[in-house]
Amino acid sequence: MINLRAAGPMEQFEILPIFHIPAGSNTLAFTNSSLWMVIGTAAIIAFFLAATRRTEFIPGRLQSVAEVLYEFISDLVRDIIGSEGRKFFPYVFTLFMWILVSNLFGLIPTIPGLPHAAHTFTPTSHLSVTFALAMLTIMIVIIYGFYKNGLKFFKLFAPSGQPLPMYLVLVPIEIVSFLSRPLSLAIRLFANMFAGHIILKLFAGFIVSMVGAGGVFAVMGILPFLGAAAVTALEFLVAFLQAYVFAILTCIYLSDAAHAADH
Amino acid sequence: MGLAFAGPTFSGRLMATDAGKQEPPSLDEFSKRLDAHRGDQSAEEKPYHGGGAAWGRAMRVSSDLLAGIIVGVLLGIVLDRWLGTSPWLLLVGIGIGFGAGLRNMSRTLGQANETPDGD
Repeated sequence: MINLRAAGPMEQFEILPIFHIPAGSNTLAFTNSSLWMVIGTAAIIAFFLAATRRTEFIPGRLQSVAEVLYEFISDLVRDIIGSEGRKFFPYVFTLFMWILVSNLFGLIPTIPGLPHAAHTFTPTSHLSVTFALAMLTIMIVIIYGFYKNGLKFFKLFAPSGQPLPMYLVLVPIEIVSFLSRPLSLAIRLFANMFAGHIILKLFAGFIVSMVGAGGVFAVMGILPFLGAAAVTALEFLVAFLQAYVFAILTCIYLSDAAHAADH
Repeated sequence: MGLAFAGPTFSGRLMATDAGKQEPPSLDEFSKRLDAHRGDQSAEEKPYHGGGAAWGRAMRVSSDLLAGIIVGVLLGIVLDRWLGTSPWLLLVGIGIGFGAGLRNMSRTLGQANETPDGD
């Protein structure tokens, strides 16, 4: 008999503690989300260790993939931030790889029969995770902006060459616009992963209930099956695209911080 | 994506074995050939990025507007509660938040148009 307990579309996002780490008077819970973060991080480290273990002039398969990824982000950083962007490359590359792997690993089907806490989980489908990443980016932007430009960093809020009364409107708008950046970054990644997984689960749920209904409905169950297959393909695109968008926006914000005094 | 990159790598390997029989491959020559291959490859890749980029831009622009309004409203509510001026700062906040959302959108679209590869 099929276990319908896990068939609700929201249950895949449930946070379940696996074990507790005592920390002073509190305890830190190691959850299924933490588990998949650790799996993703370990996979990235293992991949790059394997790819760079034996580097050759004419790259093998693994080395090719690693080089393509490296050059992809390296070109992105150079195009957007310019030559001084080199020092941000490690951060942007780490961010891109981590989001990409978290998104992609969330698409691995769960092995049937595992306990609920071991089910496939997408860390980036939680707003708290994506917001933490976005805040990290914005903190780097603010700290680097002040380090690089000093108080001229505030010029970011007052674009030059406007008539004086306009600043009464423009400055609040620019400030709110700046404050909304981390939220915008976080919502975008979270909403994409969250919505994609819900749609996938709904289609999959339809298959089960239509086949279960029998008769004509069982034959028509092929339709949600095709839908689920198409959405899975789309999800792979979205997983890559959202990691790319997060990286590109991080670069744009860092570029603003680096060149705030120029305009 | 895998297919697009398999070509150059494969032909690169072929070239190297051919060159290895006659003379050791010179680094400059090799990097020149590599660049030539890369040029072809980036030209081939452009249509592939087309569909995804539009979807990505749509998602980006919509969340830009949403985030602006949310921040404007939250600032309005917090300042109202602090100064006891409810509901006036909330109303101002909605207006400024909407303006900030539009500003975010115009900046995102402007930057997307500026980048040469159209991201």
